[in-house]
Parts: sequence; C-alpha cells; structure tokens
Amino acid sequence: MEMKPDLTLDLKGLLCPMPVVKINQAIKNVPIGGIIEAYATDPGVMADIPAWCRSTGNELVTIEKQDKVIRFVVRRLK
Amino acid sequence: MSERVQQALAVFEKSLDRRLLAALEVCARCGICAESCHVFAAEPDFRNAPAAKAEAVRRFYRRVHDPIGRLFPWWVGAKDLSEADLEELAEIAFGACTLCRRCTMNCPMGVDTALIMRAARAMLTAVGKAPEMLTQLADAAIAREENLEFFREFYIDQIRELERELQEQTGDPDARIPVEKAGAEILYVALSGAHTILPAAVLFHAVGADWTLSLFEAANYGYFLADLQRAKAIARRIVDEARRLGVKEIILAECGHAYTVLRWEAPNWFDDFPFRVRSIIEAAAEWIQQGRLPLDPSANPEPVTYHDSCNLGRNGGLLEEPRIILRAVVQDFREMSPNRAENFCCGGGAGLVAVPEWYEKRMRAGRRKVEQIRQTGARIVVASCDNCRLQLGDLSEYYGLGVRVSGLMDLVVNAYLAARRMKATAPVAPTWVHAVEPA
Ligand code: SF4
Ligand code: SF4
Repeated sequence: MEMKPDLTLDLKGLLCPMPVVKINQAIKNVPIGGIIEAYATDPGVMADIPAWCRSTGNELVTIEKQDKVIRFVVRRLK
Repeated sequence: MSERVQQALAVFEKSLDRRLLAALEVCARCGICAESCHVFAAEPDFRNAPAAKAEAVRRFYRRVHDPIGRLFPWWVGAKDLSEADLEELAEIAFGACTLCRRCTMNCPMGVDTALIMRAARAMLTAVGKAPEMLTQLADAAIAREENLEFFREFYIDQIRELERELQEQTGDPDARIPVEKAGAEILYVALSGAHTILPAAVLFHAVGADWTLSLFEAANYGYFLADLQRAKAIARRIVDEARRLGVKEIILAECGHAYTVLRWEAPNWFDDFPFRVRSIIEAAAEWIQQGRLPLDPSANPEPVTYHDSCNLGRNGGLLEEPRIILRAVVQDFREMSPNRAENFCCGGGAGLVAVPEWYEKRMRAGRRKVEQIRQTGARIVVASCDNCRLQLGDLSEYYGLGVRVSGLMDLVVNAYLAARRMKATAPVAPTWVHAVEPA
C-alpha cells in the first residue's frame, strides 16, 4: 500500500517546464524520505518527471494515467 | 585565489576567441546601449545598462590581459576575480541579461554584450554557480535519452490519445501521429507538451506531409547554461534520431532557443548533418503562399498582436514569415512598436522563466513589453516561443493586461478548420476563404 503523501500538488494545465520546476521547488519542503503526490495534464510529464527523478537521484514511486490526468508519486531521497 | 575562482578563470580563458576579445576590447563607454536594453528601460539604474553588466567581466579580464591592469589595476578599473564576484556575476549574467542582443543592434561599435554574458554563464556553470533549475532541466533532458526504454511506451501511449483528438478534429479516422517512422521526409521536434504536437499534426495532415514525431523535445537548457557539452548532448539526441530515421528535414516546434540551437549552432557541432532545419513557422508560411491551406480568418476575429521572440526574429531572421501567416489567418493584426529586429525582449528569455526565485525580477524586466502590448489594444498576443508565452501569460496576470497568449499555429489551425467546415457545408467555395497565390 502506498504511503500517505506529505504534499499533494495540482499541476494540471501547466506546460513544460513548469511541472518540473514546481516539483523541484516542492521537494525542498518535504523531509528526506517524504512523498509528493502530483496531478498533471501535460503528456510531457510522462517523459520529463522520470528523467528529472533519475538526474536528481530521487525516486519515482509511480506514474500512471487516470483518464485525462497523469498522477505521479515521488519520494525525496536526497 | 580559491580553487573555484581559478577554475572559473581557466574556463573563461578558454572561451577567449576573436569574437569575444573584440566584444571585450572595443566598448567606447558611450552609454548608447542603455536605453536599448529592456532591463534598463524598465528600471533605469546604471547597473542595468549593458556596458555596466559587461564591466563585471571586463574588470577581471583587464587584470590579466591589459598591461596597465596588470601593473596598476586601480588606474584602469581592473580587479582580481573573487568568490563574492562570482555570486554577483551569476545575478548579472543569468538574472539581469536575457541574451537578447538588442543592445548589440543598437551599439555603434556592434559590441556583443550577450556574448560576454554567455562567457560568464559558461564559467559560472563550470563552477556550480548556475541556477539549479537550469542545470536540472538540462540533466533531465539528457537522462531522457539514457532512459528511453522506460518512457517510450508511456509516451507513445500518450501520443495515441492525441491521435484520437487529431482524428476528431480532422474528421479523418485514418489520421496518424507517426512516431519513429523510418524513411519519413520530416522529423518534427515538438516541445514537451500536447500544445505543440496537435496543431502541427493537423497542419501536416492538411498538406499531406510525410512526417514523424521525435521522441525528444526541442528545448535545450544546456544552451542557456552556455555549457557546450550539455548543449551538444541534448542536440545530439535529435540529430542521431534524424540520421537513424533517414529524414530529409527537421521541422521545429515554435521555440526560440531551439531554433538558434538546431538551425544555427548544431550544423557546426556535428560533422554529419545531412538535413535541412526549419521552424514550423517557415513551413506554414510556405504552405500558405503555395495556397495549400484553405483559411478562414474570420475564425480569429479579435485584435491580435505579435511578439517577435529574440531568438527567432532579431537573432534568427524569421521576421516576415510570422506576418505572412498572421495576415492570412486573423482579421485584425496590429503591430507592436517597435517590432521585428527592434522588438523588445519579453523579459523571460534565456531560461529566466524557469527560475522561480527570479519571478519578481522578470516581472519588472517585462514592463516595457507590457507597455508595448497595451498600446496595440490587442486581445490576443501571439508568441512563437514557449519561454515568451509563459512570460507573457505571467505579465498579463501580474499587470492586469487581460490578454490571451497564443501560439501562431493555434491560430492557423482555427482558421484552417473553420475554412474546412465552411467548405463541407457550402456547395461552392465561399469567396472570403483566404487563398494566397503561389509565390
Ligand atoms: S556597448 Fe556599445 S553602445 Fe554600449 S557603451 Fe559600449 S560602445 Fe557604447
Ligand atoms: S543582451 Fe539584451 S538583456 Fe542583455 S544587456 Fe543586451 S539588451 Fe540587455
């Protein structure tokens, strides 16, 4: 079962690179090990968020499509 | 001198080619450039003048390269570079200059202050003083290639959904958004987002183009960092893909710096570059001039003005193509003043829009742009660059401008779909449907 998120972000309607910019800002507001859950609509996040997690060393717990919305969960590791 | 400062200076020394030397040496300190800079125009503080920004670099340049600066530094205002100077330089080169080159155009000596600021950005990036967000976006783009297998499936899945929207819009159940189609004529490189894929797909469908969508996005944050290695790595993903698929042409989405990178820089970076690069703006203008797109400008009845992105217009030469398009697709096109090569930067270029802590800074820097837009009385501002679009949207909100910001292709698609609808319902083609004679 997934952990309760420390922060939930609504990134719907934001275009590139704003979802990544917002996640980068928000991750500083959760403790190491903390979880951010976010909802976005731009298909670019399907590629950008996994790539951002990989390049910053954070964990992408899940990324999934729920109808027209993309939900993803990131765990802060650093 | 700290190790970091030494490293920064070593990077700077390496970048000293003839162009940069000329820019550093020939300034007459006449001050003419000041008014031409949107940052100064918005806040007339001498520190915002281009020559003053460049002085932050010239100071340590003279300490090493000016014979008097070596012996009597105080005489010529020369100074050793310090750790504190690096901080100040980061604020100037990344935060107070959008590399728009309007000052260069207006300098009687042609001093390229943006080139000096790029050299500063390169040395700051090398010593870890670049804005974190720009570095992360550049690294994420590189990771996207390394991680291709992971996201390919997700991405193609998303594209299939967009394809359904394309089929609805065009009324053609066979309309496709091809991905990785070997042998296609055109590789279309979008930005990370549906807004740059769907309108282009409608237009490719309209003219029957043989195209395929790139797996990568056109944006290149390595270029904003002035980090040649990262910039090349990001561009290489697209060049390799184009080679692999054997396309004849790369067409880029509406994006200012991507055009600079792939149209003007990349052909010099790679030995094997056997394709033409164009912006979709050039392609659309050509299709319109060839009469290949039926257009109904009454689909865009509101007053529209056009913001020339610095990278596309002043620095890229795409000055008339957007106007060919706008005159064909909207009813009331109004120029801003000044425009074309003399247009003011929106204040968010060169990566500023992606740095959250500089929001107030870029809102101030956009004041001149806000005045320009207000004077036109337009309800829609068109910008062919996502950076500019983000900044213009924020400016509209911040200053209560109440304008809608749109891409150029969105308006073309409106006019095209309206003309098609009309054609489908009218027995004879209406006389007002725009058709331009082949050039
Ligand atoms: S950069 Fe050009 S316009 Fe500006 S002070 Fe120097 S010579 Fe004059
Ligand atoms: S390049 Fe543009 S932002 Fe930079 S100093 Fe010149 S006019 Fe100002």
